[in-house]
Amino acid sequence: MHRLSALATLVLLIALFSFGNPAFLSVNNGLTILLQTSVIGLLAIGMTLVIITGGIDLSVGSVLALAGVVAGLAIKAGAPVPLGMALGVAAGAACGAVNGFVITKMRITPFVATLGMMMVARGLALQLTGAAPISRLGNTFGTLGNGSLFRIVEEGANGFPRVVFPGIPYPVILLAVLALGGAYLLNRRSIGRHIYAVGSNEEAARLSGVRVDATKIWAYTASGALAGVAGMVLMSRLVTVQPNEGVMYELDAIAASVIGGASLMGGVGSISGSMIGAFIIGVLRNGLNMAGTSAFIQQIVIGVVVIAAVFIDQMRNRQ
Amino acid sequence: MSPPLVAMHGIEKHFGGVEAVRDVSVALNPGEVVGVLGHNGAGKSCLMRILSGAMAASGGHIEVDGKPVRIDSPQDARAHGIETIYQTLALANHLDAPANLFLGRELKTRWGNLDDRRMLSEARKALHRLNPNFKNLGDPVARLSGGQRQVIAIARAIYFDVKILIMDEPTAALGPSETAMVADLIKTLKAEGIGIFLVSHDMHDVFDLCDRVMVMNKGANVGDHDIRDVTKDDVLSLIVKGTLPEGWAPRRAVA
Repeated sequence: MHRLSALATLVLLIALFSFGNPAFLSVNNGLTILLQTSVIGLLAIGMTLVIITGGIDLSVGSVLALAGVVAGLAIKAGAPVPLGMALGVAAGAACGAVNGFVITKMRITPFVATLGMMMVARGLALQLTGAAPISRLGNTFGTLGNGSLFRIVEEGANGFPRVVFPGIPYPVILLAVLALGGAYLLNRRSIGRHIYAVGSNEEAARLSGVRVDATKIWAYTASGALAGVAGMVLMSRLVTVQPNEGVMYELDAIAASVIGGASLMGGVGSISGSMIGAFIIGVLRNGLNMAGTSAFIQQIVIGVVVIAAVFIDQMRNRQ
Repeated sequence: MSPPLVAMHGIEKHFGGVEAVRDVSVALNPGEVVGVLGHNGAGKSCLMRILSGAMAASGGHIEVDGKPVRIDSPQDARAHGIETIYQTLALANHLDAPANLFLGRELKTRWGNLDDRRMLSEARKALHRLNPNFKNLGDPVARLSGGQRQVIAIARAIYFDVKILIMDEPTAALGPSETAMVADLIKTLKAEGIGIFLVSHDMHDVFDLCDRVMVMNKGANVGDHDIRDVTKDDVLSLIVKGTLPEGWAPRRAVA
């Protein structure tokens, strides 16, 4: 129900922006939006898992940067690009596992635990690099972020290459695959069922034999790993590791989940909803950009949208 | 004589300096219904939570079928055939009835996916056995009535291979017809040789359904009697004062 209205909002926004600017509805711009949204989308998958357990993960923006730094340093040290990226994702997962451990075993609230991790991971990323970007990582490092599938180029009449279809960017394919995977785990596997149960009624889940701590640690680890993947995509797009990238990205990811119907009280949410939420934010940014709206006004608009989405949802639930 | 289904020996539970359960021993035989009575805070819920694995005891030990067992978690208790219907029902409000019924023990397909279709059909059977009018199995249980929620909690406890059933105030949220259904169910389970601990405040239920009563007062077991040996006034005296009335003798001997 919520997803339908969110989807309707998305369609409405697209219609509105296309009406205002015909260039908005072009294949190229569509692919640009997909590409721009992929990082937030990846973060939103993990964030949704965590929010459904009744938690929150404020560390994803910093973990994204730290994962990038780990990958960058590994590649600089001579590791092949795929191995370096795998190490980066593993570093993200490790940060998430620490979050899960601190929350379940040390009994620190998710807000505080991940706030701490947000600072620790950012500090580590800056300390390891001396706050300087890591560049000259080679062309292969840029493939994930800049390459695309089914790119069709033909020679034009004038002898110059002409791009018939720019191709589906790899980050978009990655987002689609991971979103489907996340939705599959959440809906078809017992770990997903347990994530909902823990967020809905933790004590009931425990009494029913659900391993509550293991379930939460799983969710935070997944969120960390996805932040790592998002870091790889972002840094690859820049072909440079920026240790100060990803600031405030966690808030976009939370906004995407919440617009998509996830409840911060736990027990409610879906990957498909969060993807729609991520694209609402992406379309808004892109459309407002094309309309020449300033970045500051964009922030105001997105802030209002988040509050409105939650308000409308609450109104409906009260009926 | 065969050993009791379950025997708790010298169970202790301390919270800091507070002794919630003091050296309590109690046994339960196959096909026996034992009423567990006492004031709020007398320790009866604590004792039952220890048996169901929801709480760790500070001391004492538990035997199932004469063999000592460790019950450290609800999973352990279930592995020994101990099922519990909690007073709070312990349901996940956002999940539907089948998901709640199979929570922690989901049915899976060959590939390890959730087998929602089989869980739905099994849940329908189990729920209809208790309440033939049970519909909207796909709704989150938050939207169901108190009686329907209670039925789910009961179905969850008896669907699996139960030997020892703990019922904590099972009729508190129920109307008269549903209460009668629970009473019938207790008799059926009893005939199947299942042992039941019935925690209740309702003296009428206890005298109707139980073979034995066990009364707790300030954490201690102050009386464990065949139901035929006591009257309601005797039990009340145990609950309130912790002792039987003066000059009490087993009522059967007197009669």
